[in-house]
Amino acid sequence: MNGSEIFGAWVAVFLTLGIFSYLYKDNPFYKIAEHVFVGVSAGYWMSMFFWTQIQPNLFGRLWPTPDGAISGFFMKTWYGIYNIFGFVLPSVFPEGGIDKGHGHDPHFIYILPFVLGIMMLLSVSSKLSWMARLGIAYTVGMAAGLRAYAFLNSNVLGQIKGTAVSFVDMPFFSLTGVSVFNNLIILVGTITGLLYFYFSKEHSGAFGKVTRVGIYFLMISFGASFGFAVMGRISLLIGRFTDLISYGTSTYNYASLWVLLLMIGLLAVWTIKGDKKVTG
Amino acid sequence: MEKFLDLIVRAGGLDRRYIFLVIALVVMLPLFFPLGLPIRPTIASQTVYDVVEELNAGDKALVSFEYGPSTKPEIHPMAVGLLRHLFEKDVKVYVTCLWPDGQFMAMEALEQVAEDQYGKEYGEDYVLLGFRPGNEAVIKGLVSNLRKVFTVDANGNFLDDIPMMDGINQVADFDYLFSASAGYPGTVEWVQYAADPVGITMSTGTTSIQVNEVMPYVQSGQIKGILGGMPGAAEYESLIGQAGIGTSGMDAQSVAHIVIVAFIIFGNISFFVERRRSKKY
Repeated sequence: MNGSEIFGAWVAVFLTLGIFSYLYKDNPFYKIAEHVFVGVSAGYWMSMFFWTQIQPNLFGRLWPTPDGAISGFFMKTWYGIYNIFGFVLPSVFPEGGIDKGHGHDPHFIYILPFVLGIMMLLSVSSKLSWMARLGIAYTVGMAAGLRAYAFLNSNVLGQIKGTAVSFVDMPFFSLTGVSVFNNLIILVGTITGLLYFYFSKEHSGAFGKVTRVGIYFLMISFGASFGFAVMGRISLLIGRFTDLISYGTSTYNYASLWVLLLMIGLLAVWTIKGDKKVTG
Repeated sequence: MEKFLDLIVRAGGLDRRYIFLVIALVVMLPLFFPLGLPIRPTIASQTVYDVVEELNAGDKALVSFEYGPSTKPEIHPMAVGLLRHLFEKDVKVYVTCLWPDGQFMAMEALEQVAEDQYGKEYGEDYVLLGFRPGNEAVIKGLVSNLRKVFTVDANGNFLDDIPMMDGINQVADFDYLFSASAGYPGTVEWVQYAADPVGITMSTGTTSIQVNEVMPYVQSGQIKGILGGMPGAAEYESLIGQAGIGTSGMDAQSVAHIVIVAFIIFGNISFFVERRRSKKY
């Protein structure tokens, strides 16, 4: 086990216990862990997106490593712009172009997303913020178009097909498998659940009774969601505890134990001091 | 009787920090002292196992990692279990990541299973294509032309130089698709943009919270089986006969659930007793 891994374990233990310490009450350990998490997350995501998308897939397509010498006025000018960028940021724009396997010819169509991206950044300027709308409009329009068919196909047609259940050639009752009883539940649950969201008619009388059944199905669904949510949170807690236990061994110089004792001690001191201030 | 009801009402106002302490203890103790509670696979987990079992040696499986450290305890055990099953059957594994952190999870799982456990060769038996940002646009790109989305793998090798990439140009070239997903983009997007339009057999492993959202796709047959959270992972481990992290966490999971259910029942009793008293006076 090398030093950096042991140090990493100590940091992980501190941050985990720092977050857990909020269950006792708000305190400086929690604040440190919270701020580190937000800062590191923002930095990590920005760095990750830049180096996996903007640098290789945008700049890498606009200025790929050329196959041989650059010739012609236009191409010389184009790579001249690149060289200016390279002078300012050599790590992003290495000498000779970016080689990410996109071929050797520039894809000029990528000027469009480059310009739209710059426009979106202009939202910080009060005078030019209107330009950001063009970039946002393109993104929204593209996403809507991309998703419309997929939703219709998978969520509407696929799900309607899934609820068009059969009542023949199957056992009447089965606890978990396909059966007439289970298919009846799907049929009744789907229809009454949908009717509950029909607001053009008052939910009273016979219609009200049907929609009430729909509410029961919805409540059961919410209950199942709650149960799964609890299960998920407990799984995550088990994961953290498993790590804390492994970091509490001699391999990691008993990191969990020392950090836990330090935190309990300091929290106790702060609590006593705080109580004295209040009573004083 | 009144004294007993008094006790229940007073206990209902217990400081929540005692409840946290009890939950911490019931989760931690089984990790130190395992109970060995039985694990019975559900039909959904059994279906995933059966679908993988039907694959032949040399078949191609696309496994997508869409989770990070925050959901690792739930998804990682099932990803490891699935990889073990695939490599056991000599299926060729292609790994993509729709989440940036997914790449690190994939590297860890492949190192543990492909390299250390099965001694598989990179480029011949498995390949890590890596992460590409773009969410569902990436899936759409993989469906139309994988080579446009990935020109190099996660290690910077050109795809043309990787032997097992021969003849792999789109999602339709794979025999099986598995999405290890903790949210968006993930399972739902793979169904919408790959499994349904292409018709490829797809299974999934999700966090517990997602199960309710994804289950309709399983019921309708759009997805063949689902591994739900840590219990799903434990069930899969029991099916392949290789106990792992999922199995070791199930005792704690079960005991914690019993205690939480007991707390809920107790809280409700306390609430109703208090309400009856307030009506009375």
